[in-house]
Amino acid sequence: MRPERSGEKSYYKSNAMVLLTRKIEFAASHFYHNPDFSQEENRRVFGKCNNPHGHGHNYSLEVTVAGEPDPVTGMVLDLKDLKEILEREVMQRMDHRHLNYEVPELAGRIPTCENMARVIWDLLEPQIKQGKLHRVRLYETPDLFADCYRNGSAGAMA
Amino acid sequence: MPVGAQNEMQNGVKVALGRRYRFSASHRLHSAAFSEEENERVYGKCNNPHGHGHNYMLEVLVSGAVDPATGMIANLADLDGFVERVVLEPFDHRSLNEEVAAFRNKVPTTENLCIEIFERLKSFPKAKLERVRVQETSNNSFEYAGDHPGESIGPIR
Repeated sequence: MRPERSGEKSYYKSNAMVLLTRKIEFAASHFYHNPDFSQEENRRVFGKCNNPHGHGHNYSLEVTVAGEPDPVTGMVLDLKDLKEILEREVMQRMDHRHLNYEVPELAGRIPTCENMARVIWDLLEPQIKQGKLHRVRLYETPDLFADCYRNGSAGAMA
Repeated sequence: MPVGAQNEMQNGVKVALGRRYRFSASHRLHSAAFSEEENERVYGKCNNPHGHGHNYMLEVLVSGAVDPATGMIANLADLDGFVERVVLEPFDHRSLNEEVAAFRNKVPTTENLCIEIFERLKSFPKAKLERVRVQETSNNSFEYAGDHPGESIGPIR
């Protein structure tokens, strides 16, 4: 608790959790193929996404961090720091890359939205030193996304 | 390819899949419990006896284990087919009041629409329905996560 100066109106409550979200966009190519499946099975399960020549998306990533604003800076965390983390962990790994061949963290996994959101969560969580990673939402198209969040948190909400 | 079933939650982290759909429908907000004046006062323009319509956006969120063989919680073709059959086909380009039985005696506000859609989608066999969000216009949207959403209800942003 921050000591309250006499006469100061304390409308910044302590323990007021705030969610901060930063969005980045990257472009990457991929295709879906499971070597354990027959050609027909791959085609049936993955449809057009099985095309071995691949296809691409403009991904949009929303990263939400939860925390109490620092009483001195007024920040949950410095956006500059978050921007650097996202640049290093996500952009440099995935932007303008082929997700099947060039991202070691996805090796052996089908590069679906679900798997990518999970990999991004695991990359980001240890890097967030102020506040806590609350939700990762990865849009593959404007109508399709995957959310990653701690069970029981408010992350399920829009 | 990793072998064996992946836990639904690894280290307490959950993955959910969100998908958006669109449909257009007409409705009229009118309650048999109110007098004409009361209906007019409560629902305003939305009480126009000829009805009006919206382009609705439906967002469906499902969760579950990510199948290591497919990388998916649920195959989109299955989810799309299910939503098409139980929601889009019966709602798109329809009058909600006249053509959806649930709204014979219930006002088709978007709150009630959310609940109706949730009830229709919760039997999706391939994943757990977490919640639905229905956007009536770009300025209003409504969410419903079932009767007992437990801790998943939180601040909306």
